[in-house]
Order: sequence, then C-alpha cells, then structure tokens
Amino acid sequence: MKRTGKIYTYTIVYSTSEDFKDKTPYALAMVEENGCRSVGILDGYDGKKTVKIGMEVDFSREDKEGCPIYTLA
Amino acid sequence: MRSVSVIGIGETKFGKLADRSLRSLLQEAGEKAIADAGVEKTMIQALYMANFNAQYLCYQGHMGPLASEVLGLGTIPTLRTEGACASGSLAFRQAMIGIASGMYDVVLVGGVEKMTHRKTEEITTGIASAADVEFEANLGATFPSLFAMIANRYAYEYGNPREAMTMCAVQNHENGLLNPDAQMRKKITAKDVEAGFPIAYPLTVYDCSLVTDGAAFVVLAASDIAEKISKKRAIEVIGSGHAGDTMTLASKKSLTTLAATVNAAKEAYAMAGVKPTDISMAEVHDCFTITQILNIEDLGFAEKGKGPKAVLEGKTALTGSIPINTSGGLKAKGHPIGATGISQIYEIVTQLRGDAGERQVKNAKIGLTHNLGGSAATCVVNIFRGR
Repeated sequence: MKRTGKIYTYTIVYSTSEDFKDKTPYALAMVEENGCRSVGILDGYDGKKTVKIGMEVDFSREDKEGCPIYTLA
Repeated sequence: MRSVSVIGIGETKFGKLADRSLRSLLQEAGEKAIADAGVEKTMIQALYMANFNAQYLCYQGHMGPLASEVLGLGTIPTLRTEGACASGSLAFRQAMIGIASGMYDVVLVGGVEKMTHRKTEEITTGIASAADVEFEANLGATFPSLFAMIANRYAYEYGNPREAMTMCAVQNHENGLLNPDAQMRKKITAKDVEAGFPIAYPLTVYDCSLVTDGAAFVVLAASDIAEKISKKRAIEVIGSGHAGDTMTLASKKSLTTLAATVNAAKEAYAMAGVKPTDISMAEVHDCFTITQILNIEDLGFAEKGKGPKAVLEGKTALTGSIPINTSGGLKAKGHPIGATGISQIYEIVTQLRGDAGERQVKNAKIGLTHNLGGSAATCVVNIFRGR
C-alpha cells in the first residue's frame, strides 16, 4: 500500500542558513501522517509547482536520522 | 510575596553598532539604568543578566560576571538566563522573584546581544539554534520559515491576514520614527512590505524583525523601599506569568493559538487582577508580523480570528484603543535578542512615567509586556502600573 501524508502547512524558503543556502528556493512543509506531524524539505519542488495545505504527498524515503521525507506528486 | 517596582531604566540606541564591544554596550546601558534610579552601586545585591547567543556570535559566554565587572559591582552574585528571544524577560522575572521572596531588596537586570558583525547566513544559523536543531534546523527550517508556516496555516483556518500583517509593519515603523533609540527610523509603505525581498513565503524582509546590536537594563527594588531610595516614580510589577510549550513547532496542539502566550497571560492577568480591557498599551513580541496578530488575539485584545480586523480598524495604532508596540517593536526599534525583553519593559516604564514624548499614550495607567522564545516554546508576560 502506498504511504502518503497530507500537507498541514508549508512555506517556500528563499533565505536560509549556511547549510542550506545552495538549495534555495525550497519547499518546507509540515506533513501529517497518521495524526503525527513532522517538518522537512519536500522532494520534487522545482520552483514552480503548486504547494497547498491539504495536498497529499507521497512518502519518498527516510533521511539518515530516520525522519520521513515526502515528495510532491 | 513582597511587591516589586522598577526604579531605573537604561538602554543604548539600537542598531548596527559594529564598532562597539559587548563591554561598551553593557557599560552604557547599565550605567544609565543605575543613574536613572539614583541608587549607589553598593546597594545592588545581585545581577540577573540575559544573553541569547554571544557564545556563537562573539565567542563570549559567562555574561553575568562580565557585566558586573564592567559596571563595577564588586563581588555580587550574578547569573545568566537563556530562553532564546525571551531571555530578557526570564532574567527580569527571576530578579522579581528574588525580591518578592525577601532574599534581596535591590537588584539589577540586564540584557545584551551583539549580532550585526556576522554574515546573514551565520546569524540565521545562530538564531536557528533556538529551534530544535535535530528535528527542525538540521532539516532546513529557519526561524522565518517556522513562522511563515504559522502564517499559511492561519490563512487556511481564518482567512488571509496579509493586509493586516502589512499594516503591523507599517504601524511599527511609524512608531519607531518617534523613538530616538529605534534602529529603523524610516516610514515604509504597504507596497514596500509586500514587494520586499522574499524570505519565506508569505514573509518578506519587511515582515521580519531586525538584526540588532544593543543592551538594556532596569533596576528593581522592593516597593516598600522604592520611594525611600529613589526619586523616580516607581512603576510596580503587578502581574507576571511564565509558561512553556513544546520545543518543536510540529508538536504544538495548535499553530494559530500559541499556548505559551495564553497560559502566561492567564497567570499574569490573575496575579494583577486586571482584564485585557484594563491595559493602556502593550509591547508584544513581533518577531514577525504574523506573530503580532497572534499575540493580539492570544493576549485577549481581539477574539481569535479577529486580530486582522482589529489591526485594520486602527485599534492597535498609537491613537487606537489598545496601542501595540509604541516603541516600534522588534520590527522597527530592533531585536537585540537577549536585550529585547528588557527593552520592552523600558518602553512600558517610559510610557507609565509619562516620558514617551511624541509617542506618549494618553492616560497610560497599566502596561503589558509579552516576550516569546523560540517558536513559542517559552513565554513571559508582565503587567505594570504607575504608583
């Protein structure tokens, strides 16, 4: 079964810290999955794609700390 | 509990003070507060010193003894408080408890931050340490991005607050123009705000508070001796509340009602025996314009969801029914993180003494300060009345 989450809220980051400045602009989202929320960068954001609250996003992978990373359809 | 009053205030001008050392900022603001109170240095029994992040930004820790030595306070006990952007109010509240408990009669409280000498990305990294480093900062979250997510969620739940966010920035700048200590003494237009450089959608650079160097101090004394030792009109601390919430934004029950503010305010109002409608003016923590709107609602100055309407109707303007951030706030006066909470108290005491000049609120009787730390993980609310 496909694992998905729902965007609870989001932002597009243009100005950031030293570690992420090469990635801007990036979509940062709080995603809700099974009543649990987490914050992370969405995979697949190209600077144009629409991001909206309530939108479904697919689970893509876990990062090295085990945090879920989601991807825009 | 003994009643506690503010008897002296002092601050540096806020701004880009790149040529000033931490010592020089501490000395100017501390000496001003002690001179304002008119007390002898030997009467000061303890120093509570707030600083957020000089360890990263200036490689300097242990701010208590540094300030004490600079100010010639001898061997008095000192301690440093750190609670992100609420560090200043935490120092103030601990100092107040120190006197209220009967342990001390006269104490000095200070806050300092020196930030502008670092590059923007370094400052962003330094500030991000007030969020959860493992679950937020290391995953790409910055402070503006956390509050931008709050703004988008607010728009989803209550309607788009963009116009009111813009008005908060414009109004705070108008007030800052009347404050000689403010960093940004410049009028801005709605167009400037909305067309500003994007930081984290929907926040532009004009939705964000400033990066600031500065220091602020206050002298506190037991109210029963305040009039004997100081000629200044004593301003009594009639209420104080301190509340916490989860460190991470994702774990908060609601993103649009900040529980730390609600709970700290509840405690402060109950202790003071006053209602939101009794407050003459308030300094609220406008780290971002959206935060100012949440604060207005969470402190009870407007119903939930009606903050934007209150702002657009002019209720929070200098001449409105509840003037907010008459100093210019973090947005225009500036946000030297460790000093901010003390700087807010500086403004409310100035207003209650009737010394605010062009930005004086008429019939200022009771004032409130609201200081938030992190993504609303720490909050302190204080309520003051002129004696």
